[in-house]
Amino acid sequence: MASTRLNVPGLDGRCAGASRAAATLALGGADLASLAGGSPVASEFPLPAVQDLDRFENNVQELVKPEHGTTTLGFIFRDGVIIAVDSRASQGSYVSSQTVKKVIEINPYLVGTMAGGAADCAFWQRNLGMQCRMFELKNKKRITVCAASKMLANTMYSYKGMGLSMGSMIGGWDPSGPAIYYVDSDGQRTKGTIFSVGSGSLYAYGVLDQGYKWDMDVDTAVELGQRAIYHAQFRDAVSGGTCSVYHITKDGWTKIRGNNHYDMHYQYYPGGHPTAANDVI
Amino acid sequence: MASSGCLVSEQKPNGFDFDLCKRNAWLEKQGLQTLKPWSTGTTICGVVYKDGVVLGADTRSTAGETVADKNCEKIHYMAPNIYCCGAGTAADTENVTGMISSQLELHRFRTNRESRVVTSLTLLKSHLFRYQGYISAALVLGGVDCKGPHLFTVFPHGSTDALPFCTMGSGSLNAMAVYESGYKEDMSKAEAMELTKRAIRAGIFNDLGSGSNVDLCVITSEGAEYLRNVDMPNPRTFTAVPKPFARGTTPVLKSKELRVPSLESRVTIESQEGDVATAMDTT
Amino acid sequence: MSISTYNGAAIIAMSGKDCVAIGCDLRLGIQNQTLATDFKKVYKIHDRLYLGLAGLATDALTLNQRFQFKHNMYKLREERNMKPATFAHMVSKTLYEKRFGPYFVEPVIAGIDDDGTPYITGMDSLGAMETSKDFMVAGTAPNSLWGVCESFYRPNLGADDLFETISQCLLSGVDRDALSGWGAVVYVIAKDKSFVRTLKGRMD
Repeated sequence: MASTRLNVPGLDGRCAGASRAAATLALGGADLASLAGGSPVASEFPLPAVQDLDRFENNVQELVKPEHGTTTLGFIFRDGVIIAVDSRASQGSYVSSQTVKKVIEINPYLVGTMAGGAADCAFWQRNLGMQCRMFELKNKKRITVCAASKMLANTMYSYKGMGLSMGSMIGGWDPSGPAIYYVDSDGQRTKGTIFSVGSGSLYAYGVLDQGYKWDMDVDTAVELGQRAIYHAQFRDAVSGGTCSVYHITKDGWTKIRGNNHYDMHYQYYPGGHPTAANDVI
Repeated sequence: MASSGCLVSEQKPNGFDFDLCKRNAWLEKQGLQTLKPWSTGTTICGVVYKDGVVLGADTRSTAGETVADKNCEKIHYMAPNIYCCGAGTAADTENVTGMISSQLELHRFRTNRESRVVTSLTLLKSHLFRYQGYISAALVLGGVDCKGPHLFTVFPHGSTDALPFCTMGSGSLNAMAVYESGYKEDMSKAEAMELTKRAIRAGIFNDLGSGSNVDLCVITSEGAEYLRNVDMPNPRTFTAVPKPFARGTTPVLKSKELRVPSLESRVTIESQEGDVATAMDTT
Repeated sequence: MSISTYNGAAIIAMSGKDCVAIGCDLRLGIQNQTLATDFKKVYKIHDRLYLGLAGLATDALTLNQRFQFKHNMYKLREERNMKPATFAHMVSKTLYEKRFGPYFVEPVIAGIDDDGTPYITGMDSLGAMETSKDFMVAGTAPNSLWGVCESFYRPNLGADDLFETISQCLLSGVDRDALSGWGAVVYVIAKDKSFVRTLKGRMD
């Protein structure tokens, strides 16, 4: 059993809660352990020596809550996958950065998006990148989006209830074609064609659902992604900064756009936004 | 006027208005935090010397951890021969001293006599006692009247002390340390001023709620001397004056010239109709 | 969640040489959701006196109407406009009346006296006045606003230079606050002229 524990660091003899026992079982049950070679690839990730670990981690989560507002989206269409994200990080109402990179380039064919805790997303998706590379070296072929997202979901599930915060889309291209999976820190994993995640996701969905067509050309799709992020940034106080749009084809991902919200706004509405119909002066 | 009575009855009986209490309690129950009022996390003190009283105060006012005012006035006028230092919620110290000061003035007009310090003390403590400590004003009251120099401390609940030297506020312990070690009976004016200055400086440098400058007020039978910013131990160290922005730096969407303001303050009511209309159009 | 951050606001007032300026952002939101971008928080009392109200929008609107009413009554009685200092004390008194059940607003008042002397003052929700000779701020990002004002302010600016300074401070200040911004408006009142401008700012 020990050798099938895969890369869930911290799952050594100090298991304390039922959730972790379940995680070990889940990992053992799925035949994924062999994917990464069965050896613990990640370094030790020590757990705090407290009585009630789950509650402790939940309390910690309350204290350290960065990167809360976000809008990210992804969709599949005729010519591949579009991933679009904003770039704001906030702590409460304070805007701590306008230039956060919320697309994590796992490998040339696979990207992940960040929503929730910045550190949780960045760390575990980097970890996922490593697992994917290990898979490639062992099996001499690229990992599928399906398998990669499953590995991330398993990691998340193994830490369930311990305070991780992540809402992510894993998008990419594999031999079966384009794919997007939604994975979050509850351990949920869903395949789909249109997703939006984050505090501004409802605004983005509104634009996305209204403009989406399977048969779009690439320019229209990129513009739709940008437009959805733009409107989410406008309405949602904690989304903003710039809008980055990625396009994924059989040749891998390319970054198409990275526009500042200020420029987009005065390009879309040179005569003023329609909500400001009353003349203020 | 009388016919439109119900519409224009903004006049309310004097005193506090508790209209919004129920709503605000409900909002708090919804988990909303209320606003932080400014307070004077303060060092104030006073000492009796040979010919009178010296009062001292720092000049910092705070809202939470933010310095709301770097140079506020905490020594309040009560009467020509009486002044009062205030610590606690800024609005309370300002208003409680202002209200009692106006009562004292009316009393002087009525009696044609100089106000006595104990009169203002009694007015202050009875007002504060009536509100059971909810008016958070901690005061150091000093003055000279027909009975000689007096110095009192007044606590928010309405209790008082008569002392030869006293301190109040978050920096009271720092100031008291200086007074305890340096106080002598029958000091000269210069000695008393220097001691008080040192006491306030102890608060400014050692208490985080106190800061900036030292204000003093010296009261003798000859009258009061208000010495504003008598000591400024915290000047701005970065003195470079910023360059003005070039005209046109800020992108402007729309600009409108407004009526050139007349410097005459008299108004004819007829001409204001337009204004009344815009005033109402706020939604 | 705090009541002061429910709707979002940013207000700055600055004094110059025989002139004052007062500006505010234009956002009205409910927590993180932006509802309107044409919500002015600065209200005219008369040609030479403006009042800014940050905080809970419902209280700001109510208070503005009460102040307009009181100023109108004053004009009927006295046949003259209120001086800025008189008006400020009236505002302070109105707020302190509700000491134990306050309106959740932070007022900022800017105006010029009969001789053109600038007057600016700020208050907390209980009416504690702070009359300042340089600048005053209020809103959901006071720290950002204080910071830029402390850095960029210089005394004795003329009306046009004062406009640039207050506008730059306002735009930079709100860019670090998620709850204010979405455009801004600035009023400048001088002895010999007076103008209002809307600024081109970030809309996110």
